[in-house]
Amino acid sequence: MNRISTLLCAATALVGLGASALADEPFKLGLLTSKSGTLAPVGVQVEQGVMLAIDEINAAGGLLGRQISVTLEDDESDPQVAARKAERLYQQVGVDFITGTIHSGGTLAVGQIAEREGKLAATTVSYATSITGESCRESMFRVNAHAGIQAAALVTWLAQNVEGDRYLILAPDYEMGRDATSMFAQQIEAAGKTLVNTVLPPLGATDFSTYFAAIRSAQPDVILTMTPGSDTVRLLTQLGEYGMAPGVYTIAGASGAVTAGNVGAIGEPANGFLTAAGYSAEIDTPENRQFVEAFRSRFNQDPDVFAVDSYSLVYLLKAAAEKAGALDTQALRDAIRGTTWSTPVGDKIMRAEDNQAAVDMFVIEVSIDGNSASFGVKDRVLAADIPIEDKCTAF
Amino acid sequence: MDSLFSYLYIVFLPQVFDGLVVGMAIVLVALGLTLIFGLLGVLNLAHGELYIAGGYAAVALVAAGLPFWLAVFAAPFLAVGIGFMIQQFGLGPLQGRPHYPILTLLLTFGISLILREAAQTLAGPDPLRLAPPVTGVLVVGEIFLPKYRVVVFAISAALVAALWWGLHRTLLGAVLRAVAYDRQMTASLGIPTRLVFIGTFAMGSFLAGLAGVLLTPIYSISPESGHGFILLAFATIIIGGMGSVFGAVVAGLAVGQMFSLGSLWIPPVWAETLIFVAMLLVLIVRPQGLFSQIGRG
Repeated sequence: MNRISTLLCAATALVGLGASALADEPFKLGLLTSKSGTLAPVGVQVEQGVMLAIDEINAAGGLLGRQISVTLEDDESDPQVAARKAERLYQQVGVDFITGTIHSGGTLAVGQIAEREGKLAATTVSYATSITGESCRESMFRVNAHAGIQAAALVTWLAQNVEGDRYLILAPDYEMGRDATSMFAQQIEAAGKTLVNTVLPPLGATDFSTYFAAIRSAQPDVILTMTPGSDTVRLLTQLGEYGMAPGVYTIAGASGAVTAGNVGAIGEPANGFLTAAGYSAEIDTPENRQFVEAFRSRFNQDPDVFAVDSYSLVYLLKAAAEKAGALDTQALRDAIRGTTWSTPVGDKIMRAEDNQAAVDMFVIEVSIDGNSASFGVKDRVLAADIPIEDKCTAF
Repeated sequence: MDSLFSYLYIVFLPQVFDGLVVGMAIVLVALGLTLIFGLLGVLNLAHGELYIAGGYAAVALVAAGLPFWLAVFAAPFLAVGIGFMIQQFGLGPLQGRPHYPILTLLLTFGISLILREAAQTLAGPDPLRLAPPVTGVLVVGEIFLPKYRVVVFAISAALVAALWWGLHRTLLGAVLRAVAYDRQMTASLGIPTRLVFIGTFAMGSFLAGLAGVLLTPIYSISPESGHGFILLAFATIIIGGMGSVFGAVVAGLAVGQMFSLGSLWIPPVWAETLIFVAMLLVLIVRPQGLFSQIGRG
């Protein structure tokens, strides 16, 4: 009897030990982001967002009682390196989930490898519409807004809030610019407005003045521009030189066109420039204030859209884990799709049809006052009001 | 007939004027380049970085409280200083070595990379602004021209005239042309050719820096600005005739019109392609360029 009870005790202890050993086995997350190369500044915010969320979740007990462990890898801003390191992370380190890739090419490659390995991945930064469109994969999720969502949100808001029916598109003449042009054109038509002209200067054009006669004669009410940052500086200063900005047309564009870094070089003509973005640290809700405070106190800087989306991704994993009650690939994938989870900027829905998060967008207006510039949140466009076409046919 | 007139007046003419101003900016950048090439036989790949040196110096001087028009005279001396060092410690010692032209190309290319990185480190990657000293727009009928662009056009035209006069109507100009024509012979006549080289390089650098100052209020300034401009300036001096002041003007203005009028009829990305096609054609059919080189005409 004594012996039996000793055995039983030992067995119970062993089972208990086994169970707790299993619970102690961490959930392995691969953070594959750009720590060097052109995209490194973005990589910093991605890493900060992910690490902040993981530490919060681990301190609160982890994912279903399991801690999250992180393996950090640098993709050197290069899609080929991203592919190689993703393979290594899945096969040798044995991670369950990879996130952090910035370059759209890298994200597409990681999605392909995740599918092959029977694991999961997500991007929190990549813009290319195809990632959750034509090239969608069951194993790849996206929590950030892609280029199409930005365009849709901006035009939807402009159509409802800005006087005038005449729209003009100005975009650099290369793949991204042409993509954006067709997305803008669709949205303009859908909103019942008129596209009066499309001007396509080369990328990196030095002088935009040779297009100004075409702009003036088209008599637009709204100019939509897809010029990247440095081109936008010349475009807006030269419009200013010709007395065509600010205040003559409503000028709106891609997020990243006018930034804290280049607004000083533009000055007065940037006043009133509108853009749609997934985030601003100035969003005034209790959840966001709390997040911004936590972020600032730890990293000594403001979070940007990349940080908040990367932070939100880890909480998406937590929400899905709790919904599924398990952490294996199949259960987690099924739970992520269609789930609603809360983020510092409110609830988001991960669409089941294309693995793309439907997110609220914020209309940001640049205000110039002498030598200081501010990026104020002018309005919020609800996810439900932003049309996103489902172009995903793979699942 | 009426519609043709209104097309010419409302669409064509304003476009010609826009192109004229853009073309003159290209001439301004090309002047120093053509001078250095024509007289020294050096294709200075760091010319774009001398341009940004002028622009950045002007931004710094104006920020320090100097009036714009004083900065216009002072700022190019940073470019002159850099140019002097390039000639004195870089190009000078290479003279007489085998493969001199290739060596100068490699040297100036290396220097351009160093200067661009230095600008990035010192001033950051974001563009900087220099407020134009003259604002407002001149409106004549359908032609809209910012007053500052008109001023830059006038200054450039005066510079071109002065440079041409200096090269072709003064004793110093005759010396410069003689050095370009036959270095050994001129040296044997007692002309200090080393000094002529340094002086010419400094003058070319001054012009690059001056272009940087005058154009920064229009194009802003970033570490990449010079690099973007320099290809067009090269095409211009190749089409116009390397070393020819007159050729640089004609070709620069033509390039401006290709951008401006071209954008009326063809996709603008093709304008740049056309300019380089024109450059290739000139190189094949008339390698010396449309107009004669300095010292040879």
